[in-house]
Amino acid sequence: MRNRDAYRRFVAACALATFVFAAVALSASIAPANNNASSSAAPAPAAALEKLQPAERPIAVVVDHYIDARLASAKVQPAPAADDANLIRRLTLDLVGRVPTPLEVQEFVASRAADKREQLVDRLIASEAFADHQVNEFDWLLMQGQGNLRGYLTDAFRDKRSWDTIFRELLLADGADKESKAAIEFLKPRMKDHDRLTNDVSSLFFGVNISCAQCHDHPLAKDWKQDHFYGLKSFLARTYENGGYISEREYGLVNYLTPAGQQREAKVMFLTGRVIDMPKQAEPDNKAKKAEQEALKKLADKKLPPPTPKQSLRRKLVDTALSADQRDFFARSIVNRLWARLYGQGLVNPVDQMHSGNPPSHPELLTWLARDTAEHGFDLARLMRGLVLSKAYARDSRWPSTERPAAELFAVAQVRPLSPNQYAASLRIATSDPEMWSKLADDKTRMQRATSLANSARSWATSFAPLTDNFQVGVNESLLLANDARIWSEFLSDAGDRLVGRMKTIKEPRGQAELALTTVLARPADAEETQLLADYLSARKDRPLEAARQIVWSLLTSSEFRFNY
Amino acid sequence: MQNPSLNRRSFLGKSLGTTAAVAGAAAADMTLLNALAQPAVAAELKKQQKSVILLWLAGGASQLETFDPKPGRATGGPYRAIPTSVPGVHFSELMPKMAARFAKNTAVIRSLNTKIADHGGGATLMSLGRRDEPSVRYPDLGAVVARELARADATVPDYVSFYAQTEGRGSAVGQSGFLGARYLPMFLTDKSKPDNLERLAAVSDLDHKQRADLRDMLSKRFAEGRDNAAVGSHNQAYARVRGLMASDKLFDIEQESQKMRDRYGPTQFGQQALVARRLVEAGVPFVKVGRGWWDSHGENFETHLELVPELDHVMSTLLDDLAERGMLENTLVVTLSEFGRTPRINASLGRDHFASAWSTSLTGCGIRGGAVYGKTDEDGQKVVDGEINAAALFATIYEALGIDVTKEYHVGPRPIPIVDNFAGPVTEVLA
Amino acid sequence: MAADPTKLKVAKDLGRPDILFALARRKGSEHVFVGGSDFKLYDVDLAAAKPEPKAVGEHLSYVTSAALAGDDLLVSGGYDCRLNWWNAATAKPVRSVEAHTKRIRMVVASPDGKLVASVADDMACKLWDAASGKLVRTLEGHEALTPSHFTSMLYAVCFSNDGKLLATGDKTGRVCVWNVADGKRLAQLEAPGMYTWDPKQRRHSIGGIRSLAFSPDGATLCVGGTGQIGNIDHLDAPARLEAFDWQAGKSKLVLSTDGKHKGLLEQLIFSPDGKWVVGAGGGTAGVIAFFDIKAGKVLFQDAAPMHVHALAMNETGDKLYAAGHNKLLVWTL
Repeated sequence: MRNRDAYRRFVAACALATFVFAAVALSASIAPANNNASSSAAPAPAAALEKLQPAERPIAVVVDHYIDARLASAKVQPAPAADDANLIRRLTLDLVGRVPTPLEVQEFVASRAADKREQLVDRLIASEAFADHQVNEFDWLLMQGQGNLRGYLTDAFRDKRSWDTIFRELLLADGADKESKAAIEFLKPRMKDHDRLTNDVSSLFFGVNISCAQCHDHPLAKDWKQDHFYGLKSFLARTYENGGYISEREYGLVNYLTPAGQQREAKVMFLTGRVIDMPKQAEPDNKAKKAEQEALKKLADKKLPPPTPKQSLRRKLVDTALSADQRDFFARSIVNRLWARLYGQGLVNPVDQMHSGNPPSHPELLTWLARDTAEHGFDLARLMRGLVLSKAYARDSRWPSTERPAAELFAVAQVRPLSPNQYAASLRIATSDPEMWSKLADDKTRMQRATSLANSARSWATSFAPLTDNFQVGVNESLLLANDARIWSEFLSDAGDRLVGRMKTIKEPRGQAELALTTVLARPADAEETQLLADYLSARKDRPLEAARQIVWSLLTSSEFRFNY
Repeated sequence: MQNPSLNRRSFLGKSLGTTAAVAGAAAADMTLLNALAQPAVAAELKKQQKSVILLWLAGGASQLETFDPKPGRATGGPYRAIPTSVPGVHFSELMPKMAARFAKNTAVIRSLNTKIADHGGGATLMSLGRRDEPSVRYPDLGAVVARELARADATVPDYVSFYAQTEGRGSAVGQSGFLGARYLPMFLTDKSKPDNLERLAAVSDLDHKQRADLRDMLSKRFAEGRDNAAVGSHNQAYARVRGLMASDKLFDIEQESQKMRDRYGPTQFGQQALVARRLVEAGVPFVKVGRGWWDSHGENFETHLELVPELDHVMSTLLDDLAERGMLENTLVVTLSEFGRTPRINASLGRDHFASAWSTSLTGCGIRGGAVYGKTDEDGQKVVDGEINAAALFATIYEALGIDVTKEYHVGPRPIPIVDNFAGPVTEVLA
Repeated sequence: MAADPTKLKVAKDLGRPDILFALARRKGSEHVFVGGSDFKLYDVDLAAAKPEPKAVGEHLSYVTSAALAGDDLLVSGGYDCRLNWWNAATAKPVRSVEAHTKRIRMVVASPDGKLVASVADDMACKLWDAASGKLVRTLEGHEALTPSHFTSMLYAVCFSNDGKLLATGDKTGRVCVWNVADGKRLAQLEAPGMYTWDPKQRRHSIGGIRSLAFSPDGATLCVGGTGQIGNIDHLDAPARLEAFDWQAGKSKLVLSTDGKHKGLLEQLIFSPDGKWVVGAGGGTAGVIAFFDIKAGKVLFQDAAPMHVHALAMNETGDKLYAAGHNKLLVWTL
């Protein structure tokens, strides 16, 4: 076998990523964009915090303050505001996971109210669909299509539970009561591999992917880097599943090998470097372990819960992470993840690489938002409301002339692929009879109908390309849309409650074309494209129904419909 | 019938001009379009088109009944070892055809120690060439090869996977991870054709084409001023639909002579291997043919008495066929499982999961025929020479195909080496 | 006292480092010859307080079966395709014959000791003159390929008590009954339940007919193997016996062990009075079961201490000798 000097480059790359921990606490303060690694875990200087925008300012105002400041210094003039139809489509997709109905678009565009955007956002956030959409989003975030956490998440978001509560419940679930039975689904599938659990907890809740520090053959790694990985693992290594319950042992030292091959005992240490002093706990001998195993097996056979430990290290982890002087770290990750979801990329990118080697695009903004979120009880709805009310959120996504400015300036809205759930729900809404909505009694009924239609299409979600880094659409999706019989029958049906069914009642091609355009694309049709579709229809007078289906198909598969722009 | 809607192109002339540039920019990373515009270059490229056929022995084939026999040992089982065409190298007697053609173009590695011995974990490891990680979705071998060898405008699939029924689609790893859905496999199990290659009867061929043109025009209008790689991939996925549909004949072995079909034999594995050859011949860079299920916890010897001769026959036929067509020097044929099987024979004459010392074979493109790398002890319990892991095997595969094994991908700013830990290839088996 | 299957008891248990497949017992004695995965044949006197196996000779691969023709002629077969003749008294080799082109699965001797029959994966049953070692006749009636195009295997053969009939059984569940005198096929029976081909999930098979036995009157033919397995990664179905009225060409009944006792029936032997037939075999664990064909029920079933590959019975039917996975065993009943 060949040795490669490239290995050295690997080591260098890893070393960069493993600065993570040293600097995490620092980056929790206001590390300037160009400040590279420091191994100090000092708290944020108070003076720097004082320079932040005042705490009582509205989120949206602060967002624009910092975004505009950076644009000004980069001498970039941002894109103009998106038009109303574009904005309501973006907001409806982002907050309730579907495209708006034609009626919703009409009403929003027609409204002359000065605060119509706030009204819309509040109306969407107050709806049940908002909670349902968060369930979809967080289920994907936390479980990536594995396991079964939807039950818990549904309860959590319908109850408007805060993010710290959700974190606490997911990590401390033991399965003893009904509520907690649903919540153990986060830990349960991760019980086979504690290294993986450690990395998942670190990555999902703290935005720090620490798998690099697990690397045992890392010649340049300083021991504290491994200390952080195994320190976090120490909180989790005692946790086990038995008979469908989760519990913890009273013991469970984490040992690891240093690069030099030395055996080391991990401290119980949080990612910020905070060490938990633990009384020395002797490991039981093999006989005692065997007896414990047998006792556990008996309990499992009887479906009884395992014994509860005198003290839970998972609880220590949660308490530490949420303590007043550590919680910014926890707050920064969720702020960054929601920002990334709504703005197309994080203030720190990738969202699981929040370390000093990878500074935020807007450090003060991230710090301000994290502080604000922590001080307002980790209320996600409040945070999202603030984020979508900014000018930066509402810009047009076109940048027609010169080269597009760097994405991290947020000078122009990003074009974002719909999630599989958003696409499935939108297909169903957009192919419903557009006249139906005005016949429903009130807004509440309309929201409910839209939600039930969206949910009815959820099984389609697995057919579409999942959201990943470097997202791409593959041919499996295009072939499915092009040739699958169920796509045809479900979305291009000419039944009376469907778009194609409504188009049949219109004689004139232009009218049909316009109806299809406004319904599917949720905006007014322009003359050019209306003519294009009308010509297509006119050329197929011998098969008008097929032609109608085909133009709807071309709209459903268009990039405009497939993306949130 | 000439349709007026097509003439709308002129009416959209201006915008089409600019959007074409946009689409080109989005695809620039992976395109060879300019080169392909010249027929001579295209033909040359086609000749050099490298491909991989992965014969995936799902469930875990026994190394002792294939490439690393231990005759006469307590762990050896009943089958004899037979000499191959390389003096001093023996295969199991169940592989006479491969033994006879071993020296030609095949190399065997007998020293995999991959440590993970459960089906899911082993399959993931041997598909990704590295341990799975929660925070990065890694692409599998097929996706990487497709990414490195596929042509952007290909009218054939990039990656086709015949997965074994027992693996199920869930654990038949087919993930393109951070490379994006463009490189996801087309999945097939016992059907010989992928889903959705056929036009619905309700749409005429002309309408099918023209509605796609309409879709394209609408999407290009949208893409104006919105230069975005994801949007580019969306349009490209639709642009490839018609070409892929035209490739449905590739999946149809009725297109082959009866003589050729007889040569591969009547089993599903044989027929899928023939389809794999057709696909590779048409330029598909990666085809996985999953043959399951080798998980012989009971009656290992009876199981292998059925499965190994079939493998021997199908594989040697495939190799001969590729060689006769002049394709073997550009096609790498790999046999791989999630792990091997225990030397110890259990009470139901089975062998269990075993990842500590097992074998793989590489044939064709870039491979030194007749090479044997690595050695296990006399009972096959452990590797005593040349131990390698999954990453080194992947490096060997990439190197054989001419893919730079020091290459890095980037997920955001994070560099991800194409080969885990920058493991080096096993040069001893390379030509 | 008459043998009572419910009183089954292990009388002797000899651990072995190898897996034993072959077992032949010298009539009226406690003397057995065994062979297996170490390629060797051993002579074991089970009457001894501490039996010491003595090596007789060896094959070039697993020894799969052995039979005694008369008192002194031992014939063994193996995966090396060879039949080896030995003088049982002196343990000297007599001759070695390349008897088949593929793996020999079973060797039996006719009750009068004059003939030896062997079956192999070349799908032929060959009849040999025991004394001269000359091939008397080749019986061919089993397909070389299974319906799913894989090579088939011919696992089992047995003589009737009068020596006039011979039965052979293959992997797909086909049974042929032959007239020993002229080699004519008298009947062809199908026991497809013994064939465990999985057409979809796993695309291979592991079962087949592994054992055969005629009732003492020759009227009933029992076939042993395993039942339909869901997951053929394991021998995970109850052991299965099917009884035929072979002259009528009719299956009379199918009996299976319960869900606790799983695997193949590797050998079947009728009691001297014909009241029951014992089958032994196993999967991960061993199984032994006694079947009453007339009453159509399982009389008694139990776990055997090991997967049994070969079984013999004494003349009075109250003692069983078993060879198998890492063990040689004597049962009394």
